[in-house]
Amino acid sequence: MIGYYISLALRSLRGTPILSALMIAAIAVGVGASMTVLTVNYMTSKNPLVDKDDQLYAVQLDGWDPNEAYNRGAKGNQMPWQLTYRDATALLRSDIPKRQVAMHKFGFTVSVDDAEVRPFVAVTRVTTRDFFALFDAPFQYGGTWEKSADESPKQVVVLSQATNEKLFGDKNSVGEVIQLNGEAFTVIGVLKEWNPSPKVYDLNNGHFQDSEELYIPFGLHRKFEIHSWGNNNGWNSDIAKGLTGYEAHLHSESVWIQYWVELENGAQKREYEEFLANHIRQQKEQGRFQRPLKFALSRPSEWLVMNEVLDHDSRVLAWCALAFLLVCVVNAIALLLAKFLRKAPEAGVRRALGASRQSIFVQHLMESSCIGVLGGIAGIGLALLGLTGVRVLAGGGFDRVAHMDWAMVFAAIGLAIVASLLAGLYPAWRISQTNPSIYLKTQ
Amino acid sequence: MLKMHNIRKSYRTDTIETHALRDFSLEVNEGEFVSVTGPSGSGKTTFLNIAGLLETPTGGEYLLDGQEVGNLSDRERSRMRNEKIGFIFQGFNLIPDLNLFDNIDVPLRYRGFNGKERRRRIERALEQVGLSARAKHLPAQLSGGQQQRVAIARALAGEPRFLLADEPTGNLDSLMARQVMELLEFINEWGTTIVMVTHDPDLARRAQRNIQIVDGQVSDLRQSIAQQEIATA
Amino acid sequence: MFELKPMLSALWRNKVSAMLIALQIALTLAIVSNAVTIIQERQEKIARPTGIDVENLIAVTFMPVPADYDMAGAVAADLDLMRSMPGVVDASVTNQAPISGSGSASGYFFEPNQEVGDITANYYQTDPHFINTLGLKLTAGRNFREDEMDILGPHQNYNADVAIITQQFADQAFPGESALGKYLYGGRDDHPTQIIGIVERHIGAWPGWSLAGNVVFYPVMAEGNHKRYLVRTEPGQRDEIFKQLEDKLAERDPQRVIHLETTENHMKETYSSDNLMIKVLTLVVSLLTFIVALGIVGLTIFWINQRAKQIGIRRALGASRRNISRYFLLENSIIAITGLVLGGTAAMLINGLIASNFSQPLLSLPMLITCALVLLLVSLLAALVPALRAANISPAMATRSV
Repeated sequence: MIGYYISLALRSLRGTPILSALMIAAIAVGVGASMTVLTVNYMTSKNPLVDKDDQLYAVQLDGWDPNEAYNRGAKGNQMPWQLTYRDATALLRSDIPKRQVAMHKFGFTVSVDDAEVRPFVAVTRVTTRDFFALFDAPFQYGGTWEKSADESPKQVVVLSQATNEKLFGDKNSVGEVIQLNGEAFTVIGVLKEWNPSPKVYDLNNGHFQDSEELYIPFGLHRKFEIHSWGNNNGWNSDIAKGLTGYEAHLHSESVWIQYWVELENGAQKREYEEFLANHIRQQKEQGRFQRPLKFALSRPSEWLVMNEVLDHDSRVLAWCALAFLLVCVVNAIALLLAKFLRKAPEAGVRRALGASRQSIFVQHLMESSCIGVLGGIAGIGLALLGLTGVRVLAGGGFDRVAHMDWAMVFAAIGLAIVASLLAGLYPAWRISQTNPSIYLKTQ
Repeated sequence: MLKMHNIRKSYRTDTIETHALRDFSLEVNEGEFVSVTGPSGSGKTTFLNIAGLLETPTGGEYLLDGQEVGNLSDRERSRMRNEKIGFIFQGFNLIPDLNLFDNIDVPLRYRGFNGKERRRRIERALEQVGLSARAKHLPAQLSGGQQQRVAIARALAGEPRFLLADEPTGNLDSLMARQVMELLEFINEWGTTIVMVTHDPDLARRAQRNIQIVDGQVSDLRQSIAQQEIATA
Repeated sequence: MFELKPMLSALWRNKVSAMLIALQIALTLAIVSNAVTIIQERQEKIARPTGIDVENLIAVTFMPVPADYDMAGAVAADLDLMRSMPGVVDASVTNQAPISGSGSASGYFFEPNQEVGDITANYYQTDPHFINTLGLKLTAGRNFREDEMDILGPHQNYNADVAIITQQFADQAFPGESALGKYLYGGRDDHPTQIIGIVERHIGAWPGWSLAGNVVFYPVMAEGNHKRYLVRTEPGQRDEIFKQLEDKLAERDPQRVIHLETTENHMKETYSSDNLMIKVLTLVVSLLTFIVALGIVGLTIFWINQRAKQIGIRRALGASRRNISRYFLLENSIIAITGLVLGGTAAMLINGLIASNFSQPLLSLPMLITCALVLLLVSLLAALVPALRAANISPAMATRSV
């Protein structure tokens, strides 16, 4: 019977081509617009660390200016996003977390003896050894450095897949030597293709930046006098007593180190929280941390929300797109009602010939579903077009976000069918309730 | 076949209540050919709609084929319409977008027959009304008489035991009207019960029995026939 | 003079269809008025004056390859080279590129050893050429002198003696008085920095920042592991200079990695999300208006077909063509105005929500009324075509039976 209804629906759509095209276009435009925006929002708010969401935590400590909280009125939890070098190195001494990472963004010029490769600037992550295991960055060759390299300088480097491709043509380069700012570094590992989006482990400088090209140990700071290439915020320009130069920077109240820990269970988490509170109490005795005792451990999912990866504009656009779809649905209701009422005499005849109200209802609902499917397919086309437009217009790493996966394609068709079923519900009900006898008499 | 007892039907608007049928009682036996006449607004159409299960009466009893239909659900009434009743209208009421084949197909679809059975019945029905060659034509391509024959074919395809005809010849010239009438008589001879509403006394007389509705009630039969004879004389 | 009462009762009989149209118009007004308000705000944001010669500026960044590198010497030689290039107006060394989204800021105090009550400003570490390079306008005081220029080793603390600030920062720091000759301090610091000049305006490194326009300039070159220049070219010469610049710099000293970007491009990237918002919302507004117009056309045609016979009777009874089209236009206006009144209320409610939750601009009443009038006009135009067609229905329709 469904087959019969579908063939009737298609026949009916062909019978009023302009009206049908109008309705399909209305649904398609509504679905296209909402799917474009929803896809961008869905991809934007994806959590690349979802598998470890109950084990990973970003660490924040409130050692900010006693006179005013960090970032009044802006996003976040009124605590600095990053730690001072002093606190980071102190936290690294804890053996409670299964893994822990202190890190920040940096940059090196890279040169190799091979004259064919021109020197280039590579965005670098300065980090402790656990980075790769904690964030599930997979190795293609070799592996990470020893723990000692996080405390004393050791000139070793892990390359990203792209960097290895560029320098060594994708072959196993472990053991090769490259020059970073003119100093020799030995390659000890090469990652596989790895590019979490959004870049949840470092959201400071754009939410969709590519992951780094090089990774070097945390123990190299003093040797290379490394500053952060990411954010660096301070509130107290008092230079640590009696210190000058780079040492003063390392001991200052500037926050520039990002800190993550992996805690396996609730007990471990509670133990670590106690450890953090103790650390702050100790520091208070030394005259630091004059604000009320406050720290935070945030899961990746919470971290993404706090950093407003899905920003206000995206939310406004999402609501706007849904309202747009609503207008399209109301439009389709009006047109379907007009169309169905025009066909009321036919429905009357069908009733006389034995169709129940239910079969008339289902028949007309099938007709609106056909409009929904066609509108959904056209809507996916429009959404793909819209996403191309977003890629062209937005840029800035945003291009990786503006893609549709299969889930979104099915969601688009589903949305179109739900929209048109909703649109068809009232008109179909209305026509199934009309009294057939008035249409059977001649005038 | 059909048994109505004290059927009432009233239509209510905000201000007035109109009684279309009042204590209407009628019995039609299996195999009968009954004509129903009466002046405009007498309740002929209301009777037909109730008899055909298109409307429900306000009160009274209606047994169709021995079954009380008053308490049936829409779905059961629809099935009954589909299986037991065939309709023929003055305006033919063919679906203009469907060709003859598909028009006749409509009730068979609701009946749930498979494709082979439907095809067999459609072809036979078209043959019975002599329009086999035009199965793929649209109704608009046919003359009025041909259209009415298609409508009859559509009514017959489900092999109903009971045929309701509402002014079946009203829109036709006399030649075509006679052909349609002959077709109905032929169908009746094969055992189908027919109730035909008409205002044409010649046609009415060709039925085995004539009923006149006046003011929503069956008026005295013989008297009315006598009156008509006087009037036509 | 019109048959308003029968018209209203006719509308009442078609109330569902009429309500659906009114609902569409209401939703459309609610969306469109809010969208247009956002568009307008973004356009104003992008159109804010930057205070600099955006079209003719190039930002150059370089990083030396060798470990020991004479940064000060390289900068002096590069600046000489660039300033001598034909087509170059001037060049300066800087810590940040304007409107690039990347730069430095500091909190400023106005008394020695003050701890609270600072005002934050974006700061440049540059040289006496910067006014000419950026194309700024000095409105009070003087430019830096060459002898005030400091060169700072890596990680050396800097205490500036002189600074130039923007008028906006001057007004915030010293409201109601002239900032010229006054002093700025760091927090818990007693080193005075004298304000020796004021420039008309500069938006700074982050145009989206709430304090954009608060800018301080210092005469200093801090050595680090990379350095930036700003180069201003003669009008129309930028792209030509852009092509030559990397080669010339690399030719002078190949031991480094050089990156060039035009300020125009920085601006484009900085405003990309605003531009995206403007484009998407413009598309939404136009599509929505179009869809509503189509809906009105479709439904008016349907109603007219449904009432063809009635129209014929009216014509036969002496109604002129004008009467008929006026009837349908009036009917449409009643629906549209109902929708617009509903939509106006909804627009205000929605605006209240998005303004407080999503930091969007407030909808003004004149804007709402303008949008409503435009939509009314659109709906009348949409109804006009079918209404004129209705007027052409022949009085003979009255006698036809179907």
